Amino acid sequence: MLEEQLIQTAGFRNVGPEGARTGFQLRVRSPYYRGLWANLIEKPTVTVDGERFDGDGIRWTLPGGDFSFAELQEAADARWPLGHAATLTVPRDGGLARGLHDVTLELRLRMSYIPEELQPSIWTASRKAVIVK
Amino acid sequence: MTTTTTDDLPFGLGVSLYSYTDDIGVTMTVEDCIADVADLGATGLEILGEGHIEDYPNPPTAWIDAWYARNERLGLTPTLYGSWIDTRRFPGRGMTAAEGAAQLELDLRLAARLGFSFVRPKIGVISEDLRVDPIWQEAVERNLQLAADLDIVVCPEIHWPTIIKSPVVEEYLEFKERTGSEHFGLLIDTGVFELSPYPRRGGSASFRMGDGSARPPVVPFVPVSDLADVMEHTVYFQAKFYEVDDDLVDHYIPWREIIDVVIDSGYTGWLSSEYEGHHEPYRAPDQLRRQHALIRTIAAERAAAAPALADRN
Repeated sequence: MLEEQLIQTAGFRNVGPEGARTGFQLRVRSPYYRGLWANLIEKPTVTVDGERFDGDGIRWTLPGGDFSFAELQEAADARWPLGHAATLTVPRDGGLARGLHDVTLELRLRMSYIPEELQPSIWTASRKAVIVK
Repeated sequence: MTTTTTDDLPFGLGVSLYSYTDDIGVTMTVEDCIADVADLGATGLEILGEGHIEDYPNPPTAWIDAWYARNERLGLTPTLYGSWIDTRRFPGRGMTAAEGAAQLELDLRLAARLGFSFVRPKIGVISEDLRVDPIWQEAVERNLQLAADLDIVVCPEIHWPTIIKSPVVEEYLEFKERTGSEHFGLLIDTGVFELSPYPRRGGSASFRMGDGSARPPVVPFVPVSDLADVMEHTVYFQAKFYEVDDDLVDHYIPWREIIDVVIDSGYTGWLSSEYEGHHEPYRAPDQLRRQHALIRTIAAERAAAAPALADRN
């Protein structure tokens, strides 16, 4: 089971060796009512304490593997299934400082059955989340 | 063909697992939701293939075995399998008819493995007024023989802002006439009969459609009288609703009128509930019970009135 809020409490952490962090991760519950082919994911935006990170450099870890955004677009069979959190890895030299951060995610998914003028569908979720180490 | 019965009702009563969107994976598993459908007295089970099947599109054999055993134990009949033809799936290009046909074939075969009688492909659109991507005709037509072999009816969904009297429905009916297929029909989503806009609240994130200034099309909801004109082509109902109040009154969907048309037409298929009210966990199970209590009340009133009407005639 996942938390109702999109940005999960568990999984918000730095990545890379201590003293030489390369970025941070957040785990995201899909707000959509179905699982979807990974090609239908558009570039997300992550903002931490006012600093924006665009989707080009964000890596996605889905049950089927680990993907750059470009790989996600080309993947033939990759899916983001309902009920499985995706892990987003955001590059940032030094990672994030220990303590609380204001984290905002703009998640964008493309829905073919909605007119293109009204796409993508965008969910914006914000919370405070803790970096432990 | 599987049976369509719920107690002594003139139609079958089912529930779509879509109803539990704000609970699935948060407060309830898919299996919890299926148990809840049976607990509230429904006998029809509708799912979204891409939503509710473990490891879609290749569920483990153990999952399929458990699906059949559970439905048998709970007295549930698989009704409709919701599918998608995501015509904008591939960045930079459209989907070919062959790719659309392959997606539908995949879902038809999986639906058949799970015992479903109906598949609803939700097909991509190409314009603001929701004209369906023209690949749909070939994508569906290539699968009509397969649908016949699997005894599945393919039924696109008439969902607001697509309404009953629309070019989209005309296109579907022309296709049906041209192909002469008995394995193609209309699914009516009762949201098209909405009486006034529902002020939905909740949701775990704020939601908007598009980065620009485009606004959804302004399309009026339609009178229930439109339904009578297409009942002969209607094979399934998604009984969309938002809220039934403490007195079992639905202020948004005119159930008495809808059920009058349904029964008068001789329809004996499924009414499959689709709760789409406030986005709040724990709400769907309660609202589904209210709606089924309301529908059963109306059906009972109709049954009681029927002999009197017959006498008058």
